[in-house]
Amino acid sequence: MDKFLTLTALRRIVQLTAFFFFVYGATVFTTFYTDDKLTQALPALSCAYDQKGGDFCTLIPLQHQMDHRVSTLFTEGSGVMEALMGTLITVGTVAVLILILNKAFCGWLCPLGFFQEVVGMIGTKLGIKQFSSLSRETINKIRPIKWFIFLFLVLIFPILTGIGLLGHEWGSPFCSICPSRIMTTLAVGDMSQVYVSQAGWGYFALSLIADLLFGLMIALALFVRQPFCRICPILPMQTLFKKIGLLRLVKNGSSHCDGCSNCVKACPMDIYEIAAHAENKNITHTDCTLCGRCVEFCPHDGVMSFKYGPATILTSSKESFKKRVKVDKWWRG
Amino acid sequence: MKKLLIPIFAVATLWGYGDGVIYWTPHNCDEGKKIYSKYTSSEKNTTHHKQEHSGKKHGGHGGGESAMFALMNLESNASAVLIRPDLSNEPLNFTINTITLPRPKTGGYYAMIAEANTTEYVYSAIRYVSMHGRPAGISPTKLTALSKTALEILPDPLHREHDRYTASKTYRFVAMFEGKPLANTAMTLETHNTPAHSLTTDEKGVVKITLPNDFKNVTPDRNANKPSEFLVTLQHDANAKHYISTFTMPYSANPNDFWQSQEWGAGAIFIGFLGGLLIYRRQSTKGVQRG
Repeated sequence: MDKFLTLTALRRIVQLTAFFFFVYGATVFTTFYTDDKLTQALPALSCAYDQKGGDFCTLIPLQHQMDHRVSTLFTEGSGVMEALMGTLITVGTVAVLILILNKAFCGWLCPLGFFQEVVGMIGTKLGIKQFSSLSRETINKIRPIKWFIFLFLVLIFPILTGIGLLGHEWGSPFCSICPSRIMTTLAVGDMSQVYVSQAGWGYFALSLIADLLFGLMIALALFVRQPFCRICPILPMQTLFKKIGLLRLVKNGSSHCDGCSNCVKACPMDIYEIAAHAENKNITHTDCTLCGRCVEFCPHDGVMSFKYGPATILTSSKESFKKRVKVDKWWRG
Repeated sequence: MKKLLIPIFAVATLWGYGDGVIYWTPHNCDEGKKIYSKYTSSEKNTTHHKQEHSGKKHGGHGGGESAMFALMNLESNASAVLIRPDLSNEPLNFTINTITLPRPKTGGYYAMIAEANTTEYVYSAIRYVSMHGRPAGISPTKLTALSKTALEILPDPLHREHDRYTASKTYRFVAMFEGKPLANTAMTLETHNTPAHSLTTDEKGVVKITLPNDFKNVTPDRNANKPSEFLVTLQHDANAKHYISTFTMPYSANPNDFWQSQEWGAGAIFIGFLGGLLIYRRQSTKGVQRG
């Protein structure tokens, strides 16, 4: 029994609980209505299209505000506060949430992140060969995509729609392609979000991309860790505030770190920067999901740590490393 | 006004829609839409209006909705009241049979209640209006839970804010009399294109209603098709009186019935999945087992 007492085991329990809350929570904890949702600006992909979900992802109000409010700065000469008030409230809510849990929303709470991890576990158990960490070249090519998606699909296209330069389908284009929309609605038995639209080329393109992306994500998740997370626009959104996050990943490699790169191999997002030398430094990267695998798989005492404010809540050690490796071998059979 | 009332009357009489009951129906006149648009946007011309007038395609919130409603079949004196999201209320004044909603202080669900009494009959009509604006911060469950008329058709739940009732989807309603569910009671559902048909509540007073797919000449665009109206009627005898209550709301064509193919969607997911497997096959010789 003791072998199950690892950070990952705890994370799985939290993820499973969060999955039920964010996908089915309206049936127990909140209600069906928007006004009753927990934050309405969650920095994780908890989809508003899921009628039984406990909360909404922040990207849906953000896109709507760009479309219906921020655009009025250009079309009507609205006052800055009038046009930006909704966005400020949404962004302010995200800032408060990031302050509390930082990027752990991804690694611990996101329903789509958990779904991909479960698919990955299934892939492992099916004996599908798991790919090792992606190369730096591949990672460097992939990383800008999330910023492109954030800037264009979450901010710019919705504003252009509000101005009237694009059709209505571009008012919430990220939601139109988001795999969480399809995954969470299917999870509650709602098939209505699986479709290809013939309402125009824009609708057609977005709906086709959404379906292809969803299928691709599932297949990739069988052998690559967290495929969609790597391009998720929630990461840039969180990054705006990660400096103020109380929870953070700290590296103190001054005396013990021998550059084994176990941390990079363990990282599901292939953040090779965490292997670099650092002395008591916050190394929470833009792509980090604060899953804690790097802390678990670091074989050196006190090199990798989770800190919350001034308190160290978890630190790497030889003992925990040995235990974690045993669990990993047991899991892989 | 006559131009609007005549087509409504003509359509209504085609199926006998709403015969013998009072019910709310929206005025689709420009004036009503203009007022609604003012309520839900900034005081200057809205983006929606500008785009509508310039012919650009846009289907933002509040598009085509009206702040004016008519109480149909109004013969005797009737009273109407608007219940706000915070459950406070204010009377609505009729001009002939039409009311204009006042400017809302917050967004959220509002309930329009009309009542008319005769010596033998007690008529009531309920309609909910979702207004866009500053969040009320109050759960709509409080508004729906409030007992508004003696006989009441309770949506369980209403469609979510910013959403809409949609054809081919199933919704739950509860028949209530003096705050208690009415078991095994008949309700009728009718629309402008589908004649009335009867449904019976279960032991808990619940009935599940699937809105009919009865839209004609549908344009393949979610915002290009005007919503239709459905009317649910509930009748009950008690206290030597005959109670009749109605519930009306708009409903829209279901895109999956017309211009969205779910088969193609499932096929695209499968192709995406195959694409992923192809990547696996190409890369598997290069990859190294993760440790």
